[in-house]
This record gives sequence, C-alpha cells and structure tokens, in this order.
Amino acid sequence: MTLSLVLQALFAGVTNGIVYALVGMGLSAIFKGSRVINAMQGEFAVIGAMTTVLLLTKAGWPYPAAIAGGAISGALVGAFIEVAFVRFMARKNASEDSFLLLTIGLALTLSASVLFFIGRDGHLLPPLGGEGVLIILDAVIQFHALWLIAIGIGATLALRAFYHRTTVGLSMMAASIDADGAATTGINVGRMRTFTFVLGGLLGALGGILVTPLIGVDYQLGLNLTLKGFAAAVLGGLTNPLGAAVGGLTLGLVESLAIIGISSSYKDVVAFSVLIVIMILMPQGILGRAGRRGG
Amino acid sequence: MSLSSLISKLAGATALVGLSALGVQAQTSGEPVKIGAIVSVTGAGAGLGVPERNGLLLAEKDINAKGGIKGRPIKFIIEDDASNPDTALSKANDLIFGQKVQALLGPSLTASTVAVGGVTHANKIPQIAFTGIGPAVERERKCVAHVLPPQRLNATALLEYAKSINANKIGVLHDAGYGNVVMAELRPLADKYGVKLVAVEKFEIGATDTTTQAAKVKASQPDAVFIIATSATPFRNVKQIQITQPVVAAIGSSSYEYVNAMGPAADNIVIPEFVVGEDPLPHQKAFVELYKQTYNSTPKNYEAAAWDAAHIIAAALNKAGADATGEKLCEAMKAPYSGVLANYDFSADDMTGIPISSFIFSKLVGGKYTRTPFRVTQ
Repeated sequence: MTLSLVLQALFAGVTNGIVYALVGMGLSAIFKGSRVINAMQGEFAVIGAMTTVLLLTKAGWPYPAAIAGGAISGALVGAFIEVAFVRFMARKNASEDSFLLLTIGLALTLSASVLFFIGRDGHLLPPLGGEGVLIILDAVIQFHALWLIAIGIGATLALRAFYHRTTVGLSMMAASIDADGAATTGINVGRMRTFTFVLGGLLGALGGILVTPLIGVDYQLGLNLTLKGFAAAVLGGLTNPLGAAVGGLTLGLVESLAIIGISSSYKDVVAFSVLIVIMILMPQGILGRAGRRGG
Repeated sequence: MSLSSLISKLAGATALVGLSALGVQAQTSGEPVKIGAIVSVTGAGAGLGVPERNGLLLAEKDINAKGGIKGRPIKFIIEDDASNPDTALSKANDLIFGQKVQALLGPSLTASTVAVGGVTHANKIPQIAFTGIGPAVERERKCVAHVLPPQRLNATALLEYAKSINANKIGVLHDAGYGNVVMAELRPLADKYGVKLVAVEKFEIGATDTTTQAAKVKASQPDAVFIIATSATPFRNVKQIQITQPVVAAIGSSSYEYVNAMGPAADNIVIPEFVVGEDPLPHQKAFVELYKQTYNSTPKNYEAAAWDAAHIIAAALNKAGADATGEKLCEAMKAPYSGVLANYDFSADDMTGIPISSFIFSKLVGGKYTRTPFRVTQ
C-alpha cells in the first residue's frame, strides 16, 4: 500500500463523506423538527439535480441561476410535502410509522415520476472549476470535488449558525424540543415544521446538485443516497444535524479505507461492521448527548 | 404516447382485425400464431428490456409483411416481468397455460431465465432467452436456446483483444452481479492466455463511486484495464483518476444509456460486441436501416438479439408447421442460423453456438461508436 493510494482513498472518502453528510444533515434536520424519518431525503437530491439539469440544458439558464433554481425546487417540494401531507396527518395524530410509510411512498412516487417525465437516462452537470484536477503524490482530486468539500463544510457551519444565532433557528429548536412550551411563548409550531422541511429539501437538493458532476443523476439515485444519508445521520445521532456531518465523513472514510486496507470484496462488510461497533460503543451517536444540545 | 407503445397498440389492433377475416395485412390471414415474450420493461433490467421489446415489435411487422407463418400472422404477446424472477414465472405460466403460446422468447435477465426455464423445459415449450445463461442450465435444458453470448465467450473476447495489444498485466474493475459471473469464467481463461490479473477490484451494483477501487487498479500498474459492469460509474472514475492505459469493457456497458451517462469519459474505450449501428456490417445494414426509420434511433445488441430470436422462432415454425408440437419446434430450431447479431448454431452444446468470430470490436471516440478493424478468426 503506497502513500499515494492512501491519499487517493482519503480524497474519495472525504468527497463521498460530504455527500453523505449533506443528505444526512437534511434527514436529521427533518427528524429533529418533526419526528418524521424522511425516507425520501435522497429524492430531494434527485429533484434538485434534475431541476438544475433541466434549467441549464432546456431553459438555457446560466449555471449559477440554474443551481439556485435547483436548490429552491428542493426547498419548495419540501414545503409542499409538509403542507400537503405531513400537516394533515399530524393533525390526526398520525404515528411515526405512518409518517415513515408516507415518505417511503413519496420516494417511490417521485422516482417513478422522474422516470416517466424525464426518462431513464443519466445526466451530468458541468463541474465547478472546470475539468481541472489537483495532483498530490500521484493522487488525483478534481477541482469540483474540492468545491464540493468546501461548500459542504460551509453549509455545515451555516447550519450551525442558523440553529444558534437566528430567531427562526432558535424557534425551530424550541418547537422540536418542546412543542407545547414553544407554542405558549408564541412560536408557530406548525410553521416551524414547514421550515424544517424547507431546510431538509434545501440541504438534500444542494447535495444532489453538488454530486451530479461527479456521479451523474438518474431516477434511481435517490434510494442509494437515502440509505447512505440515513446511516450517516444515525451514526452522528439522529436528532443532531451536525452529528450527521461527522457521521457522513466517518462513513465515507471507513468505506474507502476498507477498500485499500482489506479488499474491495469486503468493503461493505468492513464498513458496516465498524458502524455496528460504533453504535454499540456510542449508542447516542458519535457526538453523543453533548452534541445533542448543539446543532 | 411513445412510439413503441403506439406500435404495440397498432400491433394489437391488427391482430384483432386479423381475426375477423377483414385482415389489414394483405399477406397473412387466419388465426394468428401466438408466441409469448417476457422482457424487463421496468425495473433494473429496463435498459435491456426496452430495446428488446422494440426489436420484437419490429420483427413482428417484418415477419408478417413477408407472409407470416405459412400465410398466418405471427403475434408476439409481450409481457413485462418488472425485472423480477417471480413475476417472470407467473407471466410464463399465464402465457403457456392461459394464452397457449407455442414458444416463449426472453426473459431479459439471467435469474428470470433460469426461473422460466423450469416451466418451459417441463412442458416442452421451446424458449429463446435474451441472456447468456450458463453451462449448468445449458446441460440440462435442451430446448432453452439463447441469442446472447455465454459469459465464457465474453471473457474470451476481452482476453483476445488484450492479447492483440500485447497487454499481459490486466487490472479488472467489476460489479458484484454481471461482473462476478463474467469474472468466474475469466479467471481460469486468463492463465491460458498468459495474462496476469494484477488487480481485481469489485464494487456493488449501483455504486455511485468506485474511485478507490480504480486507484488500486492504477497502483498495480496494469498494461490494460477491463471494466465488467452494467453502469457508467467505473468508466468516469477511471478517467477521473487519470488511468491512461487502454480500457476494454464487456458488452454489458455497451448501451447508449450508459455511454451517454459516461459523459466525456466515453472516449478510447474498446468493447467486444456485435452491432455498431453507426457503421453496421453488410448483413446488418437492412435491419439497422429499418430500425432507424421506425424508431428514429440507432439500434445496438439487444434490439438485434430480440429481432434474431423472433426470426429464429418464425423460421422454425415455417419449417415444422404452424401447429407443430413443442418437441417438433425444438428439433426444427436445432440448426445453424445466420442472424443480424451473430451466426448461431442451436445444435451446439452451449445452446447458442455463437462463434468468437461473430464479435466485432467497437471503440468509443468522443462519445461516439466506431468499428475497429480487429476481428478474431475462429
């Protein structure tokens, strides 16, 4: 095993880890704010990426505007799902499993809609920073992957600031910790839950848009991302979006180091064994209880 | 409505009208000869099943325009197995016992083929599968033929090309499904060809990133890289980490769907396959032209395979008679057949008889298929 191979594995691990983190953060933001396990989080990524593709190629928007459009589409779909389904079901005191079933159904429906309306083909987006690459010790990383990592870290810090520094963020936290208490202080709990879905949709869409230049997007991508994002979120502590960031990075790194350390045939066995051990030793997630107060 | 579904509706309407003596098709009349077909139009195998359905519908028109089965129209009853072997099995039961079809074409996927073969074999219904099947099934089921090469042949074609460019050290990237099956055949053959597999890296089906596996292949300093997968991901990753060695890919990645998804990575990749629609062989031209006119797109291997299967069963019916028993049809089928895809010989032990010389070697250049002059003689 050479240094260059280790470095290449680290590059791949961090890049994938940030993608898992973005999906996981959205998932855990929604869980934190609504107690809904969102099995369609990966679909937000598909919606964001596909909208960006369509705005760029069919509507001829400039790339930055298309990216903004894609991100907003994720947020809007998030809001729509809360208003059209979750709110309605919450009013009737739906159980957590009903919500899970709802989001699984939505995931399948959205995936099928993309297949029906847009087709089977995979689509790519132009990489940020062009096709250029950075080469360190023979290990290669695209400029786009560096952008992805930078934007991912930026989004994580922004999310933390949002929850800690802004009135809306603090209100969302209050509403999620104690809905009745928050309501008595004048916080509109229902609206906070809508915001939660907007935030989840936005994060998911951002992850999808950022990853598309590297892996392409098609109608099947959603489920795959949801599974990895869910693992990231659980690993970090499901109610803590910042934990999901740590969880995502851990998952990405363990996966890629398992390939060079042991064998690609046993990649998932090794990666998920490590995750099981982490969950046994730290059942509250990597950030534990301390982390829960934050994020 | 897509063109294919329109054609499917029209074909259905034609068959109905055909029943009522007011035959729209001048050449054929009487009760249609019913042939069942199971393809994966939805689910993971749709990349195969959709082109196969197009090939079948085109063949149906072609066969009927040329007089059908001794003057009677042929009718393909096409069912979707949703890429699921259980569904394939129940559709096969319905086609055989409900619709009373005389033969069965398909399915698109190996697992479904094995499942359906249990029913066709037991009931002596001839079947022509759109998969490579495998030696274990080929030995037992002597009336389940197939129109795509067995995996051993795919592996041989990869090695023949490697030999032609003097590549002795090969790195392999393969997926855990199709790739595993081909690898099982490739490993023992590699020795015979004097080829050393310096790195064999696996990734799961549907993996979105295989960069680290590709890096291991790169670190082993191979002379050439084989990619055996049904996905565009490894091709992009290989280019992303700047592997400059020649890339040779198995036929599984040859569809336009995957090539489009490769983006700029679809360059300088050689694929042993059968049909390059952009530059067809002389005997493929008529099919390619007809396909382009009908569907406004270029056909590849799976369209041609289904077209061939349809014509093979039609030829057997014309030989044995439209009402021949399954056993008679089977006997009639066991003969050489020169198809669009390959020169088959269904009396061969592997139930397909495709020779290595039927392979052509295409090369992707800037996302476009070109045909290389390289061929393997028997």
